[in-house]
Amino acid sequence: MSTNDPTDLRQNRREWLKTSAVAIGASLLPLPVVAAESQQVETAPAPSQTKPVEAKSPARFFTPAQHALVDELSETIIPADNHSGGAKAAKVADYIDQALGESFDDADKALWREGLRLVDVMSQHYNGKSFVNSSPEGKIAVVKVLSDNDHMTDLPEVRFFIELKRLTVRGYYTSKIGIHDELEYKGNRILQEYVGCDDQGPASS
Amino acid sequence: MAESEVNLTKTYDAIVIGSGAAGGMAAHVLTSHGLQVLMLEAGKKLPIEKELRSMEWPYDNPYRGQLPPDSHSLSFNEYTIRNPPYGPGFEKAKHLKSYIGSTDYLKNIVVDERENPFTGTNYAWVRARCLGGKTNIWGRLALRLSDYDFKAKDRDGYGENWPISYSDIAPYYDKVDLYLGITGVKENLPYLPDSIFQRPTKLNCAEVTLKESLAKMGRVLTQYRAGVTSDGLKHNKYRSRCYGRGACERKGGCDIHAAFDSPTGLIYPAMDTGNLTLRTNSVAREITVDPKTGKASGVHFIDSQTMKDYTVHAKVVIVAASTLESARLLLLSKSHLHPNGLANSSGHVGHNFCEHIMGPGVAGRAKNLVGKPPTLDDGRPGGFYLTRFRNLAEKHPKFIRGYGFEGGSGSTMFPRGTDAHGFGAAFKEEVRKNQGAFVGMGAFGEVLARYENYVDLDPVVKDKWGIPALRFHYKFGDNEHRMAEDMKETAQEMFEAAGFEIVHVSSRVLTEGWSIHELGTARMGSDSKTSVLNEFQQSHDVKNLFVVDGSAFVNASCQNPTWTIMSLCWRSCDYLADELKKGNL
Repeated sequence: MSTNDPTDLRQNRREWLKTSAVAIGASLLPLPVVAAESQQVETAPAPSQTKPVEAKSPARFFTPAQHALVDELSETIIPADNHSGGAKAAKVADYIDQALGESFDDADKALWREGLRLVDVMSQHYNGKSFVNSSPEGKIAVVKVLSDNDHMTDLPEVRFFIELKRLTVRGYYTSKIGIHDELEYKGNRILQEYVGCDDQGPASS
Repeated sequence: MAESEVNLTKTYDAIVIGSGAAGGMAAHVLTSHGLQVLMLEAGKKLPIEKELRSMEWPYDNPYRGQLPPDSHSLSFNEYTIRNPPYGPGFEKAKHLKSYIGSTDYLKNIVVDERENPFTGTNYAWVRARCLGGKTNIWGRLALRLSDYDFKAKDRDGYGENWPISYSDIAPYYDKVDLYLGITGVKENLPYLPDSIFQRPTKLNCAEVTLKESLAKMGRVLTQYRAGVTSDGLKHNKYRSRCYGRGACERKGGCDIHAAFDSPTGLIYPAMDTGNLTLRTNSVAREITVDPKTGKASGVHFIDSQTMKDYTVHAKVVIVAASTLESARLLLLSKSHLHPNGLANSSGHVGHNFCEHIMGPGVAGRAKNLVGKPPTLDDGRPGGFYLTRFRNLAEKHPKFIRGYGFEGGSGSTMFPRGTDAHGFGAAFKEEVRKNQGAFVGMGAFGEVLARYENYVDLDPVVKDKWGIPALRFHYKFGDNEHRMAEDMKETAQEMFEAAGFEIVHVSSRVLTEGWSIHELGTARMGSDSKTSVLNEFQQSHDVKNLFVVDGSAFVNASCQNPTWTIMSLCWRSCDYLADELKKGNL
């Protein structure tokens, strides 16, 4: 539809809201934002600016060797292909490193340490070398044993694999590469009109 | 706009306890009648746009949109096995949240479970103590009830009829539609009356397939009827129209307030009249009573931050604290004249507690959409609503009443289908190819109002403010479980008929409370022996006491309650203002 021209808002939504309110001619007035301090008596709020979330310096959990191993494991689960980058490019290991570094769950941390150790034990058994130094086929072979047997949750390496896959998926599909390159997500932008089956999409063409 | 201070020596015309859908509506209607109103809200006023950040990309969030590591939100398994305060394993989680508080965007909206304990049977009790209450997180489905609901007893003999008919409330549904905005499509269904709709959302291709298949079965799928203004509201400067942006599936509020919430839709405009005073951080402890007249005289509350006690006075007290909190407050308000709690000569306060049962549903794939280029399916306030079809013309042999389905389909920011087995290039491709083909729906069914399902006060456990906790005596019954079986079977049949590939069929019933539609604890009725309120939500016992939230419902129907809560409240507050002027209160 000609009226439906999605505007990419990744740069600055607030700027866009300001400039386009007149153009659209809708009741897009200043957003009421309330002062952060807890007030006892309130009246209707005056418009003001929101502040961006402050970035914290991320905590770390992995040793450099563990980080390299998680990098390879995550890439084995979601590899680069001719469509888009993989977990390595999406820095999934950094995401997991931070999540574990900030976690209070000691049992989970212990599972990761033990799981990473057991993966290298498996790799020595199947490939005769560490996971990081294994060939791409060798890496796949080790992860395949875990994935094919992911019902055997009495084993710590299987429980580790389930967590590894869960966090790799979470980290990858919430990354720029996962959202924009891999899935080519079309939403999260302002539209003039709702989009439906009569406007676009394979079933209507 | 003049700044109003809380004046504790003044006698207000009305005190409204609670600032959610009901409290906000009471404030709007009463201030527009010129009454001087004090609103008490137990929680804080949050910088809500800063909380919701509706268009934040996950990679710009320090936790990718999930809860910070010092917080934990309860899971279905934890609700099933454990009781509050939920036992070992959570010691290091500084904040414990109900299941819905599982994202960084809602963490300050829902309460800390430990500060707000309750006892008894398992219940997923979702509470939002902040200005606007649960309207900050509501799912937006805005449906009307009909005489199939108000006069349900006439149809199947169960329970009680409401003391009103559809024709009594219809003009007020219209007022709510026009004042707050609602999107949808007219269907002319006798059991689900149409609203005065603004521009509708559009169905995507999988939904059109399902709609056409259902039409052959005589069933109706319609665009999600969302309490969202799609055309804008000229009379409200605090709300924007909907711009079809993403992240609506987060169901975590809307930072441009296209989706209704009580503060921007009702409370700020009420403040602009100059007749509303708001006091946040004010936990109501008891409704005080004049020992001579037995009438309500005001409210005793505790400042949630300083723990200091206050009492304020008013000619009328309006309870709108949410179905369960309102019942708790009435039971807490015991006095010489009202030994069982206020407005409770019938003994029905806390009883007839009902809601919606949910859990059963189906997920599948529209096979013709697998592998097709990505489409834009996101950014609608909701997908579709599949209306009730049981016990309308024919009687179902196994259960009474009905259920409807809420559903959605297509691509979302975080893809569906990542629970696929395997790994590697094949897994990645499978997720990519299937992402736009997803279609799923889940049922919401009526839980019968039963006297034996009730809440009372725990004799021992108290909350952070020293106020006795609520104790639950509440379980789904046989009718609900038989209905849940049928939900699962019909969901599967309907997806099969539409030609969808079925990925998962769920028969699991979620924990009591999961629908966040608790209702009925102070029901209306014409008989003061079997009901708490009259048809204007006015206490039979105490003429200047009104309970205007979901607790007044006589049955739950299967439609989502917020639009009915607000329409009833508007009607009752018109009556209240009139009676006050006549000197009858």
